[in-house]
Amino acid sequence: MTDISADLLALTTTLKMAAITTVILLLIGTPLAWYLAKWQSRFKVFFEAIVALPLVLPPTVLGFYLLLAFSPTSLPGQFWQSATGSQLAFSFSAIVIGSVLYSLPFVVQPLQKAFEQLGDHHLEAAAMLGAGPIDRFFSVVLPLTKASFITATALGFAHTVGEFGVVLMIGGNIPGETRVLSIALFDHVEAFNYANAHLLSAGLLIASLLLLSMVYLLGNNFNKRQQSAINS
Amino acid sequence: MLNLLNKMLKKSRHKLLALATVCLALHISHVCAIEQTWVQERPLRIAVAANFAPALKVLLADLPNKEQISYQIISAATGTLYQQIKHGAPFDLFLAADSIRPALLEEEKLITENSRKSYAFGQIALWSATRKLTSLNELNTYSEHLAIANPNTAPYGKAAQQALTYLSLWPQLENQLVTGINVNQTFQQVRSKAVPLGIVAYSQLKINQYQGVLIPEQYYQPIDQQLVIIKTSKQVEIAQKISDFILQTSSQEKLQQLGYLPVKAQND
Amino acid sequence: MSATPNYLTLAFKLAFNGFEIAVDQNIHLSAITGIYGDSGSGKSTLLRVISGLEQKAIGHVSLSGALLQDSEQKCFIKAENRQIGLVFQDSRLFPHLSVYQNLAYGAKRQKQSTLSIEKVLTLTKLNQLQHQNVTQLSGGEKQRVSIARALLAEPKLLLLDEPFSALDKTTKSQMLTILKEIQQQLQLPMLYVSHSLSELQYIADQLIVVSAGKISQAYPIHQAIHQLNSSGETSAKTSLSLTVAEHLPDYGLTRLSLPTSQDNVCSIYLPLLEQTAQPNLIGHQLRCIIYARDISISLTKPEHSSIVNHLSATISAIANSKTHALITLQVAEQQFYAQISLWSANRMALTTKANVYIQFKANAVHSHHYTESSPNA
Repeated sequence: MTDISADLLALTTTLKMAAITTVILLLIGTPLAWYLAKWQSRFKVFFEAIVALPLVLPPTVLGFYLLLAFSPTSLPGQFWQSATGSQLAFSFSAIVIGSVLYSLPFVVQPLQKAFEQLGDHHLEAAAMLGAGPIDRFFSVVLPLTKASFITATALGFAHTVGEFGVVLMIGGNIPGETRVLSIALFDHVEAFNYANAHLLSAGLLIASLLLLSMVYLLGNNFNKRQQSAINS
Repeated sequence: MLNLLNKMLKKSRHKLLALATVCLALHISHVCAIEQTWVQERPLRIAVAANFAPALKVLLADLPNKEQISYQIISAATGTLYQQIKHGAPFDLFLAADSIRPALLEEEKLITENSRKSYAFGQIALWSATRKLTSLNELNTYSEHLAIANPNTAPYGKAAQQALTYLSLWPQLENQLVTGINVNQTFQQVRSKAVPLGIVAYSQLKINQYQGVLIPEQYYQPIDQQLVIIKTSKQVEIAQKISDFILQTSSQEKLQQLGYLPVKAQND
Repeated sequence: MSATPNYLTLAFKLAFNGFEIAVDQNIHLSAITGIYGDSGSGKSTLLRVISGLEQKAIGHVSLSGALLQDSEQKCFIKAENRQIGLVFQDSRLFPHLSVYQNLAYGAKRQKQSTLSIEKVLTLTKLNQLQHQNVTQLSGGEKQRVSIARALLAEPKLLLLDEPFSALDKTTKSQMLTILKEIQQQLQLPMLYVSHSLSELQYIADQLIVVSAGKISQAYPIHQAIHQLNSSGETSAKTSLSLTVAEHLPDYGLTRLSLPTSQDNVCSIYLPLLEQTAQPNLIGHQLRCIIYARDISISLTKPEHSSIVNHLSATISAIANSKTHALITLQVAEQQFYAQISLWSANRMALTTKANVYIQFKANAVHSHHYTESSPNA
């Protein structure tokens, strides 16, 4: 396999991983952020701290413990194996799960902040007009916190693309399955393929820059509306 | 992305359905992954210590019948690969940068019997990216930072420490050291000119066509690099073929050109 | 629409702001029941409990026998299923939706609709604004949208929590008039919370007083306001309904009539109500407030006075405070309250059953009735 096609494979693996991770993050992160925003208890800070842990934990440390957990000799690993019939460690599913955990704060924190800011006012108004909780979420919360959802999605996606340490530990750098761009890049550097490394770095840099600029542009526009909407 | 989410969320108005979607997403990803590895003939996976990966690629270019043998090279630090193999990584052949980790795997009965073999001996060299070096004597009066790999974890770092001790320079240079997590990092530190002088792998200089001062092999314990075949491999025969190929004389001669001491020469 | 509910049963306790609201009252629902109290007295919380927004209330709430919540039976009908409307003080319109979409929000979520959006737009005079962005509306417009939106959710009972307190006086009068018209057209019972007695006097036909977490029985509006006079907490006032007799544009006055006996009426004048003739108010009942401090007492008939209103009255009670005396007077069936200085009361040697004259300026007669200002004014 040529280096270019290997890098393209790594690119599609990365995009697939980041896309699936982001969808799962939004599905898990939204209710989590909601409960954290609404929950009033002194134990809340403890859970907030758990969500924020990946921000401070070295990724290789998190990766190492996930490797222990996903290993076929551990309980979670065995459970996965009996449920799906295949091994969890060093599979695509493993790096998705790892990325979900690792990028969790990037999705949960902006959403939690938005939900806290939104408050109960518009939700109570919607309830008085006959809207149930799920209806209220889609008809009021989602449109009013659109900017934060965009930010959360972009941060979750971008952070997952840039993810290295966890994937390196639990992925095993297997082409087409767990070799993602950041690891391919690392490999090029390790193997003294500086030309390829530069190409990949530049590509990643420009693409990330474009994505993030677009998100911030979009986010700024929505954010102004979100702020004025929430304050009105 | 958000639109996609919107659509997905709109369709799944129940928590249960959302959960099912998560499971489905994971499951689809899983099925995709399986298809890629099983529908095609699964390539042989060679896990290799990062510093040997370039040399391995050069060697395997001459592999006989290489059209029939498909393989993937997976490189990482020896320690990382060891942890992964211990926890079930689906590798077939493992080329370590030391002899310690292969020996541990053997003790843990994770390799096929008698598959542990020395395949090369690493050499170290003094190198600077900023000026041309003439001899090791330059170290005697050297007062700036010196880059070496971590002597406690990296085999090339341990060799560098032994060599400096042999030259009685260790006490004097100890406080000037910048240690990399492995010899590749040390090489990057010197190559970027961040550190003016370093002790790196001779093979790194060879493959990048840099000039350095080779440190005589009698100054340090041999850097014994060993390979093993992983017990869970379903392609032990092919792994064995590649192992044999790496150990055969023509390959070993090539390794010598790449900055390693050959195994045969060592055994002689 | 199901039968109009006619009573609300409240028997609950709720810890609130350091004190406890404890309510045990069966409220007969009239057209508009006013709920009066100072800020922090718990009147908003009362509405929130009825709405289903305060889940921590312990006890029982039911509307015409239909159970809304009962902590003993572990029953709690959620806010969205109570068919009760609530208009908030801060309107809480959905900023991402247009006026029309805000109205449609409630309408869409009803199984059976009897009101069309168009009809409600007309009722609330919003036709011109329906495509506007709600964030650009004025305060009065926002509250009209808020009321329209609540109406379209087809509630059996509409609660209004100080809906017009942030509005200027003219807009407030306009809104009160519109709200009253809506009530009459839709026959929808309403609970209207306010800390402004004059607002309540105009809009409500009965009044409940909330004070420190306790609520009073509902009394007819004039009676309830007069009862508050003796509590000393509010400035004393006369609250009465008068019939509009004629408009005197040449003098800038409108004449109201107060029946004094079977054949006789006496007249009370106030600043001209109608500058445009539409709609003609003649024959309508108008609620008026006259502050006790604006009524003075004369022992003789004041024939040489600029003050337009003077009526013959009999003193029925005298209550002295430290600085002044509150005199209760009867003009036929109607009670009036006059507040005069102790000095005057002593000097005039006022006693009960004495016949005196009360007088007050046309400007002292207040009504929240909305008067459209003429273009020339």
